[in-house]
Amino acid sequence: MSDHKINNRPTSPHLQIYRWNISSITSIMHRLTGVALYFSILAIAWFIVYYTYNIGSISEKENCECLTMTIINTLFYGAIIAITFSLYYHFCNGIRHLFWDIGKGFDLKKAKLNSYLVIITSLLLTIATIATTIYLKIF
Amino acid sequence: MKKIEIAPSTKTGFHHWLSQRVSAVALIPLIIWLVLSLVEIALDPEGYLPVFFAYPFNAFMAILLFSTSFYHGSLGMRVIIEDYVTNKAKVHFYIMLINFISITTATAVIIAILKLHLIN
Repeated sequence: MSDHKINNRPTSPHLQIYRWNISSITSIMHRLTGVALYFSILAIAWFIVYYTYNIGSISEKENCECLTMTIINTLFYGAIIAITFSLYYHFCNGIRHLFWDIGKGFDLKKAKLNSYLVIITSLLLTIATIATTIYLKIF
Repeated sequence: MKKIEIAPSTKTGFHHWLSQRVSAVALIPLIIWLVLSLVEIALDPEGYLPVFFAYPFNAFMAILLFSTSFYHGSLGMRVIIEDYVTNKAKVHFYIMLINFISITTATAVIIAILKLHLIN
């Protein structure tokens, strides 16, 4: 807050001021997933660069039964699920924002209804994706 | 009451707003392509992944996806920085940093995809 006093400029009101409701939750989740997706696409991009210039060394898999690898793998799969959800959520809510921009679904009742719709759709898509991946790996 | 100093408009807001929406619309088919091709990869990871970028359409769509998402991402990060960073000098620094990271990463990944496309 010291910066604020020096600059004396108003900023966007911070989150802790407001009472939580569904529209504020969808809005802040859109921002959070957006930031998460930005950092994950950075990681994916640099991984592709690494893969391109290290094709020989990346195929030599080291099978280690130690605890650290298990923890890293669990975190990795957790991150993948989180990124998948972020992608679907940002995609669905982004489409909702585009509809708002052309003036559709912006009244209070509809906006409330389709925010639940967005959350449920993105959750279902995430579950469907994980289920498909598990199904394809087993068979 | 104390008078609040309002920063003058730079008149670039509308262009930013429109660019964000246009890139969002462009990303819709690209994300659908991404999800469908990830399912295709999951069907046969060992066989398909090494030659994925050898297909011209895949390389084409991947380059479009990365460039559009870095553009859309840097516009979005700019809004977040402007909203939550109070120091004006810091705002400019972080926006420049985000743009720098986005442009360098996009360039690097496009070169890598072109290399994977040509060697396969």
